[in-house]
Amino acid sequence: MMQVNAAVKKKRKIKDACLNAITYLSSGLGAFILIAIFVFIFSKGFSSLGFDLLKGNYWSNNYLVSVEESYNQAGNYQAPADLNEGAAFSSKWGIAFVDAQDQNKDNVILIEYVDEASPFARLLDDSIKDKQVTLSAESGFQVERISYQDENGITYTAGNIMSQNAKELCEALDQADVIEQAYFKTPGGGIRGSILSTLYLILVSLLIALPLGIAAAIYLHEYAKQNKVTALIRSAIDMLTGVPSIIFGLMGVTVLFPVTQLFGATTTNILLGAFTMAVILLPTIIRSTEEALIVVPKSMRDASLSLGANQSQTIFKVVLPCAIPGILTGVMLSIGRVIGESAALIYTMGTYVNDAPHLLSQGTSLAVHIYNIMSSEQPNFELASAISIVILIFVLILNITVKLLSKKLNKAWY
Amino acid sequence: MKSFVRDVISTEKNEKKLRKDKRMRACFFTAALLSSSAIAVIVIFISMKGITPFLQEGVDFFSFLFGTTWRKDQGIYGVGFIIVNTLVSSFGALLLSFPLSVLTALFITKIAPKKLSAMMTTVIELLASIPSVVYGVFASGTITLLVSTLAAQFGLVTAGGSSLLAVILLLAIMIFPTITSLSITAIRAVDKDVELGSLALGATRTQTNFKVVLTSAKSGIFAGAILGLGRAFGEATAVAMVAGNKMFGPTFNLFDTTRTLTTTMLSGLKETTGLDYDIRFSAGLVLMAVILLSNLILNLVKKKVGNMK
Amino acid sequence: MNAETIFHVDHLDLFYGDKQALKQIKMDIKRNKITALIGPSGCGKSTFLRCLNRMNDLVDGCKVSGTIELDGNDIHSTQMNVVDLRTKVGMVFQKANPFPMSIYDNIAYGPRCQGIKSKKILDEIVEQSLTKAALWEEVKDRLQESAFGLSGGQQQRLCIARAIAMEPEVILMDEPTSALDPISTSKIEEMAMELKKDYTIIIVTHNMQQAARVSDETAFFLMGEMVEFDETKKIFQQPSDKRTEDYITGRFG
Repeated sequence: MMQVNAAVKKKRKIKDACLNAITYLSSGLGAFILIAIFVFIFSKGFSSLGFDLLKGNYWSNNYLVSVEESYNQAGNYQAPADLNEGAAFSSKWGIAFVDAQDQNKDNVILIEYVDEASPFARLLDDSIKDKQVTLSAESGFQVERISYQDENGITYTAGNIMSQNAKELCEALDQADVIEQAYFKTPGGGIRGSILSTLYLILVSLLIALPLGIAAAIYLHEYAKQNKVTALIRSAIDMLTGVPSIIFGLMGVTVLFPVTQLFGATTTNILLGAFTMAVILLPTIIRSTEEALIVVPKSMRDASLSLGANQSQTIFKVVLPCAIPGILTGVMLSIGRVIGESAALIYTMGTYVNDAPHLLSQGTSLAVHIYNIMSSEQPNFELASAISIVILIFVLILNITVKLLSKKLNKAWY
Repeated sequence: MKSFVRDVISTEKNEKKLRKDKRMRACFFTAALLSSSAIAVIVIFISMKGITPFLQEGVDFFSFLFGTTWRKDQGIYGVGFIIVNTLVSSFGALLLSFPLSVLTALFITKIAPKKLSAMMTTVIELLASIPSVVYGVFASGTITLLVSTLAAQFGLVTAGGSSLLAVILLLAIMIFPTITSLSITAIRAVDKDVELGSLALGATRTQTNFKVVLTSAKSGIFAGAILGLGRAFGEATAVAMVAGNKMFGPTFNLFDTTRTLTTTMLSGLKETTGLDYDIRFSAGLVLMAVILLSNLILNLVKKKVGNMK
Repeated sequence: MNAETIFHVDHLDLFYGDKQALKQIKMDIKRNKITALIGPSGCGKSTFLRCLNRMNDLVDGCKVSGTIELDGNDIHSTQMNVVDLRTKVGMVFQKANPFPMSIYDNIAYGPRCQGIKSKKILDEIVEQSLTKAALWEEVKDRLQESAFGLSGGQQQRLCIARAIAMEPEVILMDEPTSALDPISTSKIEEMAMELKKDYTIIIVTHNMQQAARVSDETAFFLMGEMVEFDETKKIFQQPSDKRTEDYITGRFG
């Protein structure tokens, strides 16, 4: 008898251990996936991350230029003392180049330094025919092509297009007598425009959704009687949570686009995206505000009313200030939602990356920028991952803030 | 005693305050009404726009609903196979993710030591907060690779890994935190007494966890599954990066490309007028119908499951 | 009705939905006296108190009928403005409920709501109210600190000071000392005795000794009815109703 019991017990123990083990395994899998995502994104994107990415334009500017006639001659220039060691300096033309890699990991030559008196500081824009537009080569320009004549008047071409590096380009220029034409490019691939658009989106959508959401939450919690109308309003707002964001996008272009037209919009635009986001954010803001209102004790309201305040004074002077941490939580969650949203915005703002976005122009949020990159023929994983890192960092910061806020909310003073 | 306040109080002013109260109440009510009308506006406008192709542009409703080809270059719009694809990929993801989520939830709430539990909670929260495009980038960089290597083992060739399997794996990952966090809530809500009762009857902790706790929490866990499925149906951008947009179907081969309702709505967003644009709204309408119907059916199932003990 | 009466209550009925919480209450409350309302929990004494400044208005499904007159004016009539009423009838609650603001702002809250903005006047109001509530000496150096830094008893006195700041005629106190220690309780009782020179005080209490100590008149409530209302001395020494006697001798409660 005892032996059988022991056997049963042993079997049970093994079974229990197995069951426990699979829960460990599945959690481990979850953790593994998270780590895999972070490792992948960071390893792919980290090298592209930098201030140039954050503040640079996405589109390259192309400059086809020639040197102003009167300055088009060689001189003798001194390299500045603080010139980068890897840079190749042409003392004849007063310009220095360095080797670098662009966003696509191709080798390029960048201008490192231009002497103030150098011929390259006095350029004419050839792409504009009838007007004389002068400009100067600047450090950071990508040198695609420089064509020059040697003393015999024979034209040569140098630059990136000839697969030269900085040193070779410099040596080539030392042969030159006259510069015929140059083709420069700015690097591009930056995300400043998308960051700006994202900020616009966050700002405008919160500006609309916050007052509306807070007011709705106040009605639902402070005024509404428990009846059928209230129940209907509540369930209608709850239902919004379950609507996929792409549907909000469809709603945006049909219902809200005419509204932005009143402001003068002709295409889909950032304002439309913000309007649409505001609708998406409403349930989040209403819920977190209401949760915060619930925590404010009823005795606060009683005290205020018994002192001869009316209900609006009670709400604005006592109840809402008490609810601020909760409302802030809602704001943080909303910002996270705006940063992460893509499908609704693709419909309402377009996928054109805009370097100079304004409210009524098209533009991409960071997330849509990623989608734009990923849906091209040859997706640039490095850039997409770099933007993902920016987004993840934002989201992490927001998450931590929410956690701290809710801690503050929980150990409340009452 | 000096009096400061008495003389200041004016009935007239207080009347005004009460009238202001009424106005504020009206404002708050308007805000609530406006917020709640959004859902109605969405349904009405998308329905109106979604049925125009059938009413005005001569698209046959039945060949739309049951069609097996979607070629906008030829003007053939059949959404039937896309519905099937959407269902297959979403339920496939649910099938994969559901057991893992429930086990993880059980781990966090009952099995893990305190520190590990807190850590896993953070993991779930982080997974939940990662935006879908980031999942998309991850999936098209790793999952597609995984799938194409796997396919090569069977001697198959995939479209760079874009496939039904990739979609299922991606969606499974994406709905994992949703189902897990709802399951955690459901398991936490289980009455302590039920558990103690089971333990008192001589069941081990593990037996109690698996038999008693999970069955008591099943209604909440099921709700999590429904929510997860809804997310899978509606996920657009990430899926679009690995689906491959097949033009006919339905797709049942795991290594073949597929097309879901959302990817269809996202693909080639160049036009802003015309049939090719309007038909997206019809697809959106179908998507809403699919979500609504599956929610209804699953809620019925949930009631049944909840009732039997 | 004579000039001594401040509140005249007649045939007051109150329903929460279908449940009747107050039945035919009839009572004349005298000016510059402390009136105590006693009775077991759920007998309707707090509900009655909250009728006197219409704090029940916002409760869902609460219906009041009958007359309550303050200085001869029906408080439910259309001429009576509920905000006006509440400035005249202040209230102190069971649990101290200072606002999450500084001590100064707590006191200044009511006057500010009535549109008083002058810093000089507000300063005087704050000082006068706190002095009357016997709190000035304790807090005068930290008026700008949060009210939550005060002890429980100090918080309750702050709430009384906050009510006094409105210069009301009546102060309703709903079990103001039930959450306090004996020392804080006696401080508040002393203060109440002091305050009745200027105000009428109506106090709901669970504590019969307290009623006996501080009040001039006492009303005994039972199951929504007012059983007996008389001078405190009489109620405690020779109650005319058997139920009152049972209650004050501790047979139930």
